[in-house]
Amino acid sequence: MREGVTHTVDMSVKLGNLILRSPVLTASGTFASGREFADFVDLERLGGLVTKGVSLEPWEGNPAPRIAETPSGMLNSIGLQNPGVEAFCKKDLAWLAGVDVPVIVNVSGHTVAEYVGVIERLESEPRVDGYEVNISCPNVDSGGMAFGTACVPAGEVTRACRAATRRPLIVKLSPNVTDVAEIARAVAGAGADAISLINTLLGMAIDTGTFRPRLARVVGGLSGPAIKPVALRMVWQVAHAVDVPVIGMGGIMDAEDAAEFMLAGASAISIGTANFVDPTTSMRVSDGLAEFCRARGIRRVSELTGALRT
Amino acid sequence: MGGCACSQPGVPPALENVEVVANDRVASGVGLVVLHAPRTAATVRPGQFVHLRISRESAALLRRPFSVHRVRGERIEILYQVLGTGTRLLAERGAGEEMDLIGPLGHGWEIPPGITHALLVAGGLGAAPLGMLAEELAARGVAVTVALGAPTEERLIARDLFETVARRFETATDDGSCGVEGFVTGVCESLLADEALDLVYTCGPEQMQRIVAAQAAEAGVSCQVSLERLMACGIGACLSCVVRTNEGQKRACVDGPVFDAATLLWDRSEIL
Repeated sequence: MREGVTHTVDMSVKLGNLILRSPVLTASGTFASGREFADFVDLERLGGLVTKGVSLEPWEGNPAPRIAETPSGMLNSIGLQNPGVEAFCKKDLAWLAGVDVPVIVNVSGHTVAEYVGVIERLESEPRVDGYEVNISCPNVDSGGMAFGTACVPAGEVTRACRAATRRPLIVKLSPNVTDVAEIARAVAGAGADAISLINTLLGMAIDTGTFRPRLARVVGGLSGPAIKPVALRMVWQVAHAVDVPVIGMGGIMDAEDAAEFMLAGASAISIGTANFVDPTTSMRVSDGLAEFCRARGIRRVSELTGALRT
Repeated sequence: MGGCACSQPGVPPALENVEVVANDRVASGVGLVVLHAPRTAATVRPGQFVHLRISRESAALLRRPFSVHRVRGERIEILYQVLGTGTRLLAERGAGEEMDLIGPLGHGWEIPPGITHALLVAGGLGAAPLGMLAEELAARGVAVTVALGAPTEERLIARDLFETVARRFETATDDGSCGVEGFVTGVCESLLADEALDLVYTCGPEQMQRIVAAQAAEAGVSCQVSLERLMACGIGACLSCVVRTNEGQKRACVDGPVFDAATLLWDRSEIL
């Protein structure tokens, strides 16, 4: 401990009407429903656990290979493989009943009706604390990113989900757009309580030995440190465009990265690909953020949000 | 906490800091790295793997999965073929350098009670996960027959280990420099005809594994295969390493890498 800066840091953050004990969340699709990480992480120290995408019916996902490492990042084309909302309730939510952490369910669909169907099924589940509507997955043929790359469908799916629940509603945006601020305004105007971004950037890699794409689906979503500058720029733009809180993510590997996102305007941040590299990243970032604040005499981590000096 | 996340027996995986004890070339393009990894050495079972973080630099971001070839005291031995960025970096790591791993991971080889004679069929680097198994079988008094294949004699991996523990040891090389000239699947076929076998264990190129599995099925002998898949997390979360089986999609990292060949749907599986 440094002398004179031994105060404890208030790590709680407000996300609409959700009070989280930490600004550190897990990014959907990188943390399953937490169970696989229980050997490495104290789940109850997370600000929230954002689950893998859940759809109305089981989804098979895409053929393999589904991943490819690229410089400072990775491509994936998992394709939202999941057992469907019914199995999710029986297995994942049942397991999460024994863990004291806010659960935010990532909701996926091919149609507006499917998104709404998932939420309607989950409304009666007390273990669900909120929803993140995924209108930004680049790896499914219909739905997913198709909703998130134009204002009208983005607003439409948000409005329909909003009408189905009074629980906190987060909408996750795609970076694969010309103007992310206009999509953010559309979903905020349609009733989103918060906005999370960025989902993966559409990318591609080729094996020059075989002349084949390195992903069976040819294209996939790029994540990891390679996308951090793009993510940071978009978080900054969106934080200026809307009044709802922003959850920032995209290549966060350590507490310094997390602090950058908060300075750019994020109220909370998510750990994604870094969970694969080091399953303890979320804990490291939590501890590191507290130390970051302590070392600078900052008493509340929320003071970092939007504190960028320009 | 909610307790152990795994459905398979054995100790839960952990993050372990390890040190390189030695890292030597054992054949052209093939290395053997010895790591001081006391926790993993004490707990790993044959056929399980470790997820190794070779570099701290983000340029090569992901861990790489390696099966544990052998355990000696507090050390584990890993065989690797230099194929891409990760294994090239691994080949450059010298004694005294530190890395970390997640392990032990995965569902390894099953050794059913009562078996008396097992055939191990390895192609190239497929010998890696079969080393510990051969030693374990021999220690349990199970007769071990090994069929080892490679392009040339120089590339017959772990030959000393297998020669020491196997009751019968046969080789096949593409150029005929050692043993039968041709594929190891030819050797496997004649061993299945010659010997009274309870079980076949195999690892190698997927095309070879398919043939071995078909030969074993034809002979009425059950067969376990260790599959290789690209994986990101290694702990069951990312769904990169899917394997198609007659019980639905499985994850090579936690449900495998060893599978009962009879459950595999090979037709649409990934070929590396």
